[in-house]
Amino acid sequence: MKKTSVLAFGLVAATALTSPAKADKLDDIISSGTLRCAVVLDFPPMGARDESNNPIGFDVDYCNDLAKALGVTAEIVETPFPERIPALMSGRVDVGVASTSDTLERAKTVGMTIPYFAFQMAVTANDKSGVKSFEDMKGKVVGATAGTFEAIALEKTVKEWGVGEFRPYQTQADVFLALSQGQIDATVSTSTVAQSNVKGGKFAGISVVGNAPYDIDYVALFTNREEYGLINYLNLFINQQVRTGRYNELYEKWVGGEVPSLSINGVYR
Amino acid sequence: MFDTALTLADLGFLAKGAAMTLAVTAVSVLAGTILGVVFGVLRNQLGTYWSLPLTFLLDIFRSVPLLIQLVLGNALQSILKLGWAPFTTSCVVLSLYTAAYCTEIVRGGISAVPTTTRRAARSLGMTWWQDMRYIVAPLATRVSLPAWIGLTLGVMKDSALVLWLGLIELLRASQILVTRLQEPLFILLICGAIYFIISFPIARLGGYLEKRWSND
Amino acid sequence: MFSYNFHWNQAFKALPQMLDGALVTLQIALLSMAIGLAVALALTLFRLSENRVLSGFATVWVEIARNTPALFQIYMAHFGLGSFGIHLSPYTALLVGIAFNNAGYLAENFRGALKAIPETQTRAGRSLGMTPLMAFRYIVMPQMLRIAFLPATNQMVWAILMTSLGVTVGMNTDLAGVTQALNAVSFRTFEFFALAAVIYYLIAKAVTLAARLAATRMFRY
Repeated sequence: MKKTSVLAFGLVAATALTSPAKADKLDDIISSGTLRCAVVLDFPPMGARDESNNPIGFDVDYCNDLAKALGVTAEIVETPFPERIPALMSGRVDVGVASTSDTLERAKTVGMTIPYFAFQMAVTANDKSGVKSFEDMKGKVVGATAGTFEAIALEKTVKEWGVGEFRPYQTQADVFLALSQGQIDATVSTSTVAQSNVKGGKFAGISVVGNAPYDIDYVALFTNREEYGLINYLNLFINQQVRTGRYNELYEKWVGGEVPSLSINGVYR
Repeated sequence: MFDTALTLADLGFLAKGAAMTLAVTAVSVLAGTILGVVFGVLRNQLGTYWSLPLTFLLDIFRSVPLLIQLVLGNALQSILKLGWAPFTTSCVVLSLYTAAYCTEIVRGGISAVPTTTRRAARSLGMTWWQDMRYIVAPLATRVSLPAWIGLTLGVMKDSALVLWLGLIELLRASQILVTRLQEPLFILLICGAIYFIISFPIARLGGYLEKRWSND
Repeated sequence: MFSYNFHWNQAFKALPQMLDGALVTLQIALLSMAIGLAVALALTLFRLSENRVLSGFATVWVEIARNTPALFQIYMAHFGLGSFGIHLSPYTALLVGIAFNNAGYLAENFRGALKAIPETQTRAGRSLGMTPLMAFRYIVMPQMLRIAFLPATNQMVWAILMTSLGVTVGMNTDLAGVTQALNAVSFRTFEFFALAAVIYYLIAKAVTLAARLAATRMFRY
């Protein structure tokens, strides 16, 4: 699999008796010359496809920046939302640049970096549904992308309300398709996705009607839990992206407006 | 409906998806059939009792949804750090799935060959291998081929599920285009038509063979 | 090589939820089978009829059901019909999709079974003064159902397996939907799906066994 495995085997054999030297993932990436990023491509403006069906978006650029910093070439591996983690675990990708919320539940399985982006949650509704705010969703049919931060929060809200119905769709695209068809009355999604879908003009009869009272959804890059070397590197990279102004630049390019802060008042990470 | 933003390049994208569907199907059916023949003969030779573990194992592939099999296969290869591409994982899972059904077909085909015919062959001095090669194989193939064609088509249609692992096959390619162009009905109809165009003639051929070969 | 640690207790804790999902799975499979059988009988009659529109309709149904993926059919039932403003809930869309598929395959099974019943029997019935429908109802159909029983059992198992496709149209109450929801929260894919696989296997086996018992009771003489 790895071109260097023969060489590595020789090295290991030579050093086995003296020291337990082991190349970690960071070394592997640098020596292989390729950085493979898991990116979700139906999540505009973070990940999408252009007219010739090539990957574009904030996450795609972010992966390219990371590859440049490492001095390797980037390879974008499209993964549907539910496939992000299996793709990493199986070694098909090195890093997830996939707008992944840094929940404690997930951190039991993968290693999360510091936040590299932050989402505000917005409510988008079908104009015919009469939903004008978050509270109006009570008793309605609502949906979100399965497994996302907002889906988990929304499902919990619907359960607390005790009325209405929650539907998880497997892709963000299906959620907006269902919304524009009127299959669901409203959805909670990241405000960036909501704006991009409404402004894109592809969906008729839907509009963003307000914010959802959920915590800010901090998203992190992720890699294998035990790869501390790589996680350290990624943390520094995120820090440098902000420091050098590249974060602002990318935000302006893909989203626009006020740049969300990535730090939380009153606590260290 | 004919006022569409679908371009020629997008049709090419769909064709690439269809090619992926066919590639996954071809690999899986080929590998699955080879395995199926081996298992089928084995089950026939071992008898009901001794082939019980094999029967049980293959039965699992026919009693668990393919979607679950694919997800599990993918999770397993990730746990074992095999680093397989989704294409490999899909083909391995689909091959085993095909093999499970193919074994039944092969077994049915072999048991359709009258025991007396086989005894006659052996008493003419044919070895087991000669009996298998010149007597059983031609007769069993005749019985099994229509069912095997049905299986191939089944695998072709079931291969749509590999989209779950991120492979861009025909259905996934259509979904990507739906996302970008927002013409769900039109694009999905094209997708369905492509499946139909691939499947229908082969299904008809199977029906024809079944009719022709059962009448003599 | 084996750096993954299994967290089985998480999966076992979710077992009651998954068993609830299994009930929904079984319910959809049974309903889709009942609807599918009824529609398949109608389609079989249509195909036998002299009316070209009816027989054409039945043929188109059977060929589409048999020559496109079930996943496609279910996706169409939700998003395809949605384009016409016909909104089916995930549950209904899944049920409609599977019933559509069942009907197509069962109708084809019935056609095969019909071939095995000599035409002379119908004629004998007719000459006893039966109407065509009566001859079908009392002479042909019982034999047809009997011959088609084993393939129908297989179709029932298929229906159970097909329910897992509901996750693609937002279904979250059946076994696959519940499993996927659990997986999305915790990312413990293998544990949850392995447990789901065992449950599916047991359901499929239970159904096959029940069908076999029913067959020995119904078809003995």
